[in-house]
Amino acid sequence: MKKQKKWLSILLVVCLVAGIGGGVWYRQKKIEERKLSLIYIPKVVDKTNDFWKSLILGSKMAAQEYNAAIEVKAPSEENDVERQNELLREAIEENPDAILFSPSSFTESNALLEEAKKKGIRISFIDSYTEEPVQDLTVATDNLEAGERLGRFAASLLEPDDQIAIVAHVKGVSTAVEREEGFRKGLGDLADNIVEVVYCDSQYEKSRKLTLELMDKYPNLKMVAGMNEYSSVGAARAVKSAGAKDRIQVVGIDSSQEAVQLMENGVFKGLVVQKAFKMGYMGVKETVLMLRGKSYEKNVNSGCELVTPENMYTSEIEKLLFPFNTLKLS
Amino acid sequence: MKKKNLSARFIGKFSSIQSVIFATVAVLVLSAVVIVTGVSMRFTNNSIFENSSEYTHTIIQQMNQNIDSYIDYMENIAYLISSNEDVQDYLFADEIDNEGRYRILNQFQTILDSRSDIRNVGIISKNGRMLINDGSKSVNQDLDLNTQEWYAKALKSPNGPMLTSSHVQHIISGERPWVITLSRGIRDRSGSGQKEGVFFIDLNYSAISELCDQSTVGTKGYAFILDAKGNIVYHPQQQQLYNELQTENISLIMDTDEDTVLTGTGNNGKLYSISRSDKTGWTVVDCTSVRELLSKSRQAQSVYVLTAIVLVIVALLFSRFMARSITLPIQKLRDSMKKVQEGDFSVSDVVVDSKNEIGSLTKSFDVMTHRIQELMEQNVHEQEEKRKSELKALQSQINPHFLYNTLDSIIWMAEGKKNEEVVLMTASLARLLRQSISNEDEVVPIANEVEYARGYLTIQKMRYKDKLEFQIDVDSSILYIPLIKLVLQPIIENAIYHGLKYKESKGLLIVKGFMRNGNAVLQVIDDGVGMDEETLAHIYDKHKVNYHSNGVGVYNVQKRLKLYYGDDYGITYESEKGKGTTATITIPGRQEGQL
Repeated sequence: MKKQKKWLSILLVVCLVAGIGGGVWYRQKKIEERKLSLIYIPKVVDKTNDFWKSLILGSKMAAQEYNAAIEVKAPSEENDVERQNELLREAIEENPDAILFSPSSFTESNALLEEAKKKGIRISFIDSYTEEPVQDLTVATDNLEAGERLGRFAASLLEPDDQIAIVAHVKGVSTAVEREEGFRKGLGDLADNIVEVVYCDSQYEKSRKLTLELMDKYPNLKMVAGMNEYSSVGAARAVKSAGAKDRIQVVGIDSSQEAVQLMENGVFKGLVVQKAFKMGYMGVKETVLMLRGKSYEKNVNSGCELVTPENMYTSEIEKLLFPFNTLKLS
Repeated sequence: MKKKNLSARFIGKFSSIQSVIFATVAVLVLSAVVIVTGVSMRFTNNSIFENSSEYTHTIIQQMNQNIDSYIDYMENIAYLISSNEDVQDYLFADEIDNEGRYRILNQFQTILDSRSDIRNVGIISKNGRMLINDGSKSVNQDLDLNTQEWYAKALKSPNGPMLTSSHVQHIISGERPWVITLSRGIRDRSGSGQKEGVFFIDLNYSAISELCDQSTVGTKGYAFILDAKGNIVYHPQQQQLYNELQTENISLIMDTDEDTVLTGTGNNGKLYSISRSDKTGWTVVDCTSVRELLSKSRQAQSVYVLTAIVLVIVALLFSRFMARSITLPIQKLRDSMKKVQEGDFSVSDVVVDSKNEIGSLTKSFDVMTHRIQELMEQNVHEQEEKRKSELKALQSQINPHFLYNTLDSIIWMAEGKKNEEVVLMTASLARLLRQSISNEDEVVPIANEVEYARGYLTIQKMRYKDKLEFQIDVDSSILYIPLIKLVLQPIIENAIYHGLKYKESKGLLIVKGFMRNGNAVLQVIDDGVGMDEETLAHIYDKHKVNYHSNGVGVYNVQKRLKLYYGDDYGITYESEKGKGTTATITIPGRQEGQL
């Protein structure tokens, strides 16, 4: 009789363990299958700017692949911090699982981000970051590295006494600061030849005008380096329109259709291109992994690549420059 | 022998057969179920796997054919356009014929309208003349066409069209789409006869992706296409692959000669079904996730497991039931055996319905206990009979010595003309004889015994004239209490031969009878030599046989009294050396069947 009771209890324990295991498994599956809600706030959405287009495409593809709904809220101008904060406030009110954010300002969004954090919304930084480390994870290009690659390439084009000007996008923004720093490092001794750094506030027109002014100011200027798409393309436009493409070499960071065209045209001698698609994709992917409680990378360097007229038609660079849009958005 | 030991040791671990049976059956059933389930799961796995891979391979071959015919169709278009007179004229003639140009554009328009999967269609000649789509798009002037593979190769290739797998088409400014280009060199037939121009069609991926989507198996399966060099022509996650966010084991696919390749391990593995096309040089691959393939078999497996669990539970219950049904009769048998062992035959009838070994064992046991019971009863009966017949034999005889002595005494008295004494003695003897012959009963009233004793004493008194005197003083209230025969006389005889005979003076023997504490008591008191304590202690011994009185000694009387009346009754002796002996016979005062 005692023995039977032992058997019976063993059977019971087995059943219990199976039941609990099944329950846990089922719950786990439930969590995994819930569609996550994400909101991405880039710095800008602009038809002409391939960087943000690719980045958003990447984030959307990753969202589709990892069972998440992503809503993109973007200002129509890059340096519009107020608008971006407005959108951020809207996003917080919608109470998504996570907000992916590319801060336009190094300081202005901190209060709102803290508020989001308090509400339990996870924060992922994409491309840029802010003063306060409120984020749960960051996916960005190593901007020092990007700047340095561009600097090294630029150095290879220059004579020891050639003058260099920098057209940066926004003063104080993390990307601008780091890229400039990297660029100087890459230039090495030639960094002393930098005559001026100007800021175009991420506007083509302003960049063009500033470049023209620089050309007037420094007649012996040999190189203009743009620190983002707006500044690079603006500078290139100025050089092209002045018919100075053989005298002044333009290098820059980020690409667009126009930038590629300008490179084919011979204005751009080199562009360091960020892996925008990868950045957006990884940003969403890692955020989803984090939300699902899986292991994720806290800091992702999405990388960059140097594009020159020589390699621009190679498969590797084409893959990077031109997004292959297989996303079937319904 | 060793085996037996082992099994014995195994069985010895359990305290009951029931648990042995239960454990054994449980283990057997469990292992059988586990093995069968495991084998069938394995088998299902394999067969589902094989079926699926065959199925996907059929599908992928179909898809390959579809792609071939798709490309075929495009080649036909290329051929038609390239051999068109208007094209020749437009590209190579000295002057451009606007009507011809219009007809070509018309043709292009028809092609573009009818097929949404054609992105661009155009002709270009080395001399810079070109006509693309509707002719209105601005051509990328900065592009050096010789850097473009589709253009350069079409001019070089000796014959036929050529296919350039996925690349970016730079020719139209402001549009840089990913396309697959089919290009064909156009010979200047009126001039050099060499290839001086190129016709091209850019295919967007709508048709190919549709073909690939149709060929996917399962929700996680997908199909993709590689070109002869292993570059990706189409992949549903092309952008991810291009950005190193996904990987595909391309070298494995390119190197293998098999139709299907399994990569990765376990559930995370992928099954590649490969089909190569001789026409395009492309490799069409269908990728199925092993997890999904197995999910079908997993369903089957979960059914197996569920069935197995139910089976095991049923088997456990059944084995418990079986163990019980087998061992319950054994336990019953054991219990009743224990009782029998303790001497209780009353429960010996074990009822077992089963007809198996245990049933027959139980039956045998029942028969055996019944037999034993019978034998025991028979034994008791026989013993009784034997005792009775022995007693009868004793009773029916008068000691020949006594008879002889008595007759001798009678002769002596007759010779001495003592007529009265002869009469008395003869009468007494006759009475003794009659009593011992006539009465068949085992039990007689005390009165009879007393009469018998009187007769005997009378004879003895006459023989030992001056030596013996007797008194009989029996209370009339006990006269009809039954007493087993031949009790009083042997005690009196014993008193005479061991007590009075050795006394020098005349001895007195008193027989007393009375009730005491509900018991009937008969006392034989003599004033003979008495006994010392040692003799007294051995008075009941068996060997103390009284030869004078038919061998019926104190031992015999005592034994019979105890047997008949129980241990509380019997004879007790009191004696004092030189003073005499008192023998006290106690029997129950009230008996069943009292006379």
